[in-house]
Amino acid sequence: MLDRNIAPATHKIQKIHFVKPQELWINESVKLLWMQDVPNETSRIDLYFDAGLRKDRNVIVSLCSSLLLSGTKQKNSTQIYDQIDQLGAYFDIGLSHEGILFSIFALKDNLIEAFCLIFDSIQGATFPDKEIAEKVTEKRERFKINSAKVGFTAQRKFQEKIFFNTPYDELTQISDFDTISKKEIVDFHDKWIKKGLYKIAVVGNIDSKELETIRSRCQSTCITSPITYFKDFCNSPGVFHVEKKSAVQSAIRVGKTMFNKTHDDFFDFSILNTILGDYFGSRLMKNIREDKGYTYGIGSALAETGGSGYFIIGTEVGTKHREPSLNEIKKEMELLNTLSIDQSELKLVKNYLLGQLLKAADGPYAMMDLFLSVDAYSLDMEFYNRYIERIHQIQSDEIKSISKKHLQWDSMSIVSAG
Amino acid sequence: MVEFQRYKLKNGLTVLLHPDKTTPMAVVNTLYDVGARAENELKTGFAHLFEHLMFGGSVNISEFDKELQKAGGESNAFTSNDITNYYEIVPAQNIETALWLESDRMLSLAFTEKSLEVQRNVVIEEFKQRYLNQPYGDVWLELRPLAYEKHPYKWATIGKDISHIENATMIDVKAFFKKYYNPSNAILCISGNFDSAMIREQIETYFGGIPGGLKPTRINPQEPKQEEFKSKSIDRNVPADAFYYAFKMGPRKSSDYYSGDIMSDAIGKDNSSILNIRLKKELELVTEINAVITGSLDDGLFIISGKLAKAVSFEDLDKQLWLALNEIKQSGVEAEKLKGIKNKISTAKAFQEQGLLNRSINLSFFELLDDANGINEEPLIYQKIDASDLILFAIKTFTKTNCSLLKVCNNA
Repeated sequence: MLDRNIAPATHKIQKIHFVKPQELWINESVKLLWMQDVPNETSRIDLYFDAGLRKDRNVIVSLCSSLLLSGTKQKNSTQIYDQIDQLGAYFDIGLSHEGILFSIFALKDNLIEAFCLIFDSIQGATFPDKEIAEKVTEKRERFKINSAKVGFTAQRKFQEKIFFNTPYDELTQISDFDTISKKEIVDFHDKWIKKGLYKIAVVGNIDSKELETIRSRCQSTCITSPITYFKDFCNSPGVFHVEKKSAVQSAIRVGKTMFNKTHDDFFDFSILNTILGDYFGSRLMKNIREDKGYTYGIGSALAETGGSGYFIIGTEVGTKHREPSLNEIKKEMELLNTLSIDQSELKLVKNYLLGQLLKAADGPYAMMDLFLSVDAYSLDMEFYNRYIERIHQIQSDEIKSISKKHLQWDSMSIVSAG
Repeated sequence: MVEFQRYKLKNGLTVLLHPDKTTPMAVVNTLYDVGARAENELKTGFAHLFEHLMFGGSVNISEFDKELQKAGGESNAFTSNDITNYYEIVPAQNIETALWLESDRMLSLAFTEKSLEVQRNVVIEEFKQRYLNQPYGDVWLELRPLAYEKHPYKWATIGKDISHIENATMIDVKAFFKKYYNPSNAILCISGNFDSAMIREQIETYFGGIPGGLKPTRINPQEPKQEEFKSKSIDRNVPADAFYYAFKMGPRKSSDYYSGDIMSDAIGKDNSSILNIRLKKELELVTEINAVITGSLDDGLFIISGKLAKAVSFEDLDKQLWLALNEIKQSGVEAEKLKGIKNKISTAKAFQEQGLLNRSINLSFFELLDDANGINEEPLIYQKIDASDLILFAIKTFTKTNCSLLKVCNNA
């Protein structure tokens, strides 16, 4: 007879098999990564350019990245897009402070053709005036819409405080869209796209001749010396509020300068972060959503930059719940600093983290992404085995001490808008 | 080809098994044939509120998520106007935990006052976050009742009015559960790395004992055929004037769905689409323009939306948009363009099927449409759509009397 009150036995995840992609060096600084073992027809190429927001004015970088397929001497943008459609290919452009990531998705039989088409269009971009004007209008409108959102307002203020007094603290202003010259975009492209390729990652069951096509095409555009990233961040602590009378919710951002995977405290802090705010059963979710009903969702994360990183808590709460929510966030941090987490909660978080890691290692795309996420810091797949080991070993008192070390309320930049 | 097995338990629960030995994970997906269209007009937003309550503890298990997280798993759910879908993603070796949890909440919920009170508040905050606190957020709340007069699609999943959520009672909750959350109204799909014989036994153990109920019959008010053009203007503090043209089209199971899907890609999906080139690039009337279909189980909508460029009037746009649509009715979509769209659909399909969760949700949804094998048959249906199908679709759909237009005017 089934007793529904008793949970079925669960089985612990002891080991995960991590597969490393093949590595081919294009020059001393640039490598081509390849995950060939894909059990279906799909494929992807990621092109990483050292062309992030930190390299120039935000608007120039952002326009350049969105106009990479705006036309060449031979083709206009519509012709390029039509050709991409014919190949059934998709692309995606990601822009951060550290770089531009251009991803191409296609069935493997079309991958090389799509790559050559897109790569040549990117490298040969001429930035026609009309395309620039159209994109400026589009971005200005988008900016206006975003500016009406409390989440966007809070995020800007947070960024100003977290990247305080560094090259990363520039905030785009609406007036920036009126001061754009084509020359700035072209110069940026010459400098950081035509000579800025720093990593290529291929997932797909193509053959080595096709891989060679990618390698040779990329060669002349690669960087020739290693990239350096800005390291010395120090957030500006304090409480900052941006008033918006008509809002029915307030956006909250709380955080401080932290670190990336290269830091000794990374594993412990990641586990702590999960406990506090990085899963559905986290302390913040349990308290502020599931107990009080102040919000639809609240979460925390450790965001990494090339040379550093920061911790962030984000939520949107009913305007009258703003102060109570901030108090509860503070209380949750103090609890972690003073009381040891009990064994059952710690065990749950350990199992949860291992399950998540197993999922994150499922399939060739996931495996490549795991590798890219450590390779960015010159680490390798061994990082994950060490993480698993640390998850198994960490004790309650170690959670408390890592919390005490990093989660002091007074060190936080506390931002709200609404 | 997505392989699967299908059978029914004695209590009426439909089961789909999709074994995949290449993954270390498993997904337990449960689709209930209930969405916002099942709601009473005076108590809207209920299907969605109920989805939240399904995480508030079941009859024998007080904390759903906690037990799942202990097993290394995670879960989530979504509600649409047509369905409510729940899933658990777990390491394959702990699949039994997910079966235990999902079956217990199908058996019965804990129905605590605390859970109802908190989730009411959470959903109200969700309402504010998604619909009230951002520009154009309330468009769907306005557009649905404009386009539909009788059919329950006239309200959004979140509900017609916040007060409906505020006033939800425990009696409502229990009645809703009793009516819709029984095995004969559900489709269970297990995907991932498992042994089929063993999983069948476990499914019988956990789900077999749940009492069967009658599959609720649904008599949705039929939407009368639209006979005249409808239009509404609302003033909002928004950065730019925006327009939403909603045309009625056939349901998910009709050929309209496939023609409409391809047509929406052709005219308004991305930079190379017809309306983007014509109205944005050439005439500079809009700063953005998009076309989408709702894909609803009953008669759906084909929506063309966008934002006006500075100093452009709704009339200017309207004139040029109809010119463009009338051309499509005349000459359809170029062969080359149609081929490109079909190629992109094939690529998108291949990428979607990479994911175990996607496969699970799609198998369940196709089973709801009649046959899970639809997942394998659909690509061919898309390939068969030709230029004349698109012209027919355009002629039938893009007429003034079949259209509802919502204008959001910037009053700032």
